[in-house]
Amino acid sequence: MNTRLLDLPKDAVKDAPAAPPLRARSRPGWKHALLLPLLLPLLVLAGAEIAVRAGLVPANLMPPPSEVATTLAWLAGHGLGQHVAASTLRVAIGFACGAGAALVLGALVALHRTSARVLDPSLQALRAIPSLAWVPLLLLWFGIDETPKIVMIAIGAFFPVYTGVTSGVKGVDRKLVEVGLLYRLTPPALVRRVLLPAALPAILTGLRNGLALAWMFMVAAELIAASRGLGYLLSDGRETSRADIVLAAIVLLAVLGKLSDMAMLALETRLLGWRDGFTVERA
Amino acid sequence: MKRRTLLQLGAAGVASAALPRFANAAPLDELRLDYAYYSPTSLVLRRFGWLEQEFKPDGTAIAWVYSAGSNRALEYLNGASIDIGSSAGLAALLARANGAPIRTPYIFSRPEWTALVVRKDSPIRSLADLKGKKIAATKGTDPYLFLLRSLQVAGLNRGDIEHVSLQHADGRVALEQGKVDAWAGLDPHMAASELESGARLLYRNVAFNTYGFLNVREQFLATRPNETARVLRAYERARAWTRANPGEAARILAEEAKVPLAVALLQVKLRSDFSQPLPGAEHVAALRAAAPILRDENLVRPGTDLNAAIAALVDTRFAKPLIA
Repeated sequence: MNTRLLDLPKDAVKDAPAAPPLRARSRPGWKHALLLPLLLPLLVLAGAEIAVRAGLVPANLMPPPSEVATTLAWLAGHGLGQHVAASTLRVAIGFACGAGAALVLGALVALHRTSARVLDPSLQALRAIPSLAWVPLLLLWFGIDETPKIVMIAIGAFFPVYTGVTSGVKGVDRKLVEVGLLYRLTPPALVRRVLLPAALPAILTGLRNGLALAWMFMVAAELIAASRGLGYLLSDGRETSRADIVLAAIVLLAVLGKLSDMAMLALETRLLGWRDGFTVERA
Repeated sequence: MKRRTLLQLGAAGVASAALPRFANAAPLDELRLDYAYYSPTSLVLRRFGWLEQEFKPDGTAIAWVYSAGSNRALEYLNGASIDIGSSAGLAALLARANGAPIRTPYIFSRPEWTALVVRKDSPIRSLADLKGKKIAATKGTDPYLFLLRSLQVAGLNRGDIEHVSLQHADGRVALEQGKVDAWAGLDPHMAASELESGARLLYRNVAFNTYGFLNVREQFLATRPNETARVLRAYERARAWTRANPGEAARILAEEAKVPLAVALLQVKLRSDFSQPLPGAEHVAALRAAAPILRDENLVRPGTDLNAAIAALVDTRFAKPLIA
């Protein structure tokens, strides 16, 4: 065994977040941080406002942003918190169940050959089923209470995480594993010190995608038979010809989705601090 | 992309608002209207193809769109997906008050099509018993508004119950499977539930049923008065036929809605009154009496002038010369 191979992965075997990035990344200026991301939404909002005010677009089809803001403010005083809390709670529970199951099953399939033969083909087949196809069955099996909604969200969160785990573990460099074996690591230690850190980027991406899908499935679940929640609010607006309420619900969904994604991203940055990835050079 | 789509939409809106004034004489390519199980005359009209006959010389195609409830019909009208659609009166007023550009020149029936329904073995005996119960109703329809007004009778409001929003047919299933405690039903589903599962009508009030309104998009009515009049004449023909042959009309309803004939007979013969098709003082008064619930339950924006919305909705003149 040549020594270079031994030297190289030593770094990767260390499980503590190691060396800081080689090149300190320059802090983006406020222009980059704030102005650029807001440019497009602000332009769209201003354009919509002007188009409606000028009568180019009928207000019953596209309420002006100012009216959506008024509606949001009014809703805030009339039970909006309850809707947001209900939806967030559903997403949290559904995501926890779905992602938890996916982590366990994904690890099993990735690490155990027979399990993979038994489970993987079936799971891949289930993955191909569109979310809305589940609705009639879930209503039939679980009624119209919380259970079908949680199950639906869990289904949505499951597959991206599952795929992340399996492909992440499959993608681990064989040489790293060999080195771990050379060092006579026990199987648990091998998982903890080699496989997990190496597969972590893919797993975290899976978790992030799973969370995004959980929000999407939440709306699908709440559109069907809910008494509160953002999906309920959305259909409330739909059924009473209130496009402003529909838009307000959509804005809230975007904000909540973005916030949870940012939280996930922060976790990812923290856990993957050792990574020295590629970034686009700024001029 | 989004802005461009909006601009295109806007341009299309301007174009479609400007065009018909010049192109008024040209025949329509397509006339889009709905049919619904809650409007037996729409089913009769569709079955006999009288509209297709009427418009054949012009080369106008008739597109029939199914409305599962007033909420759907009004949504299609609001988005200009159909030109003429059937809904309950109060549901139409709700849409109009929230900005949907529609007018009602014709009443397709005076039905008692909704009531509060419970299972036959239900312990619920009165409206007051509904407090804290789970009740299914389709939002934006007469049954939902009927539910709210009934609760008000018992001094309750929509926060006192748990409302589950289900489309009419699903509401029936949920009630019969015990997933909800009560259901604001709609015929023919309600009649079917009564006759097939023995469901009991907990509370009925014919005055809380707000007529069957045939709504026309405001712009269509303004630019296509001739076509609208021809549709209403065809509706008159269907109405006359239905009154003369209620048993046959019930059979058509039974076939279309896939309900037993007894259910359809109950709806057409006993719970529908086809005698007064012209919107008038009676309908305006009924809407005025019902309108406060829209404000009380925050279904319209604060400060909406409901009387103005009623005046803008109900067209008492257009159909006068057409009605036999």
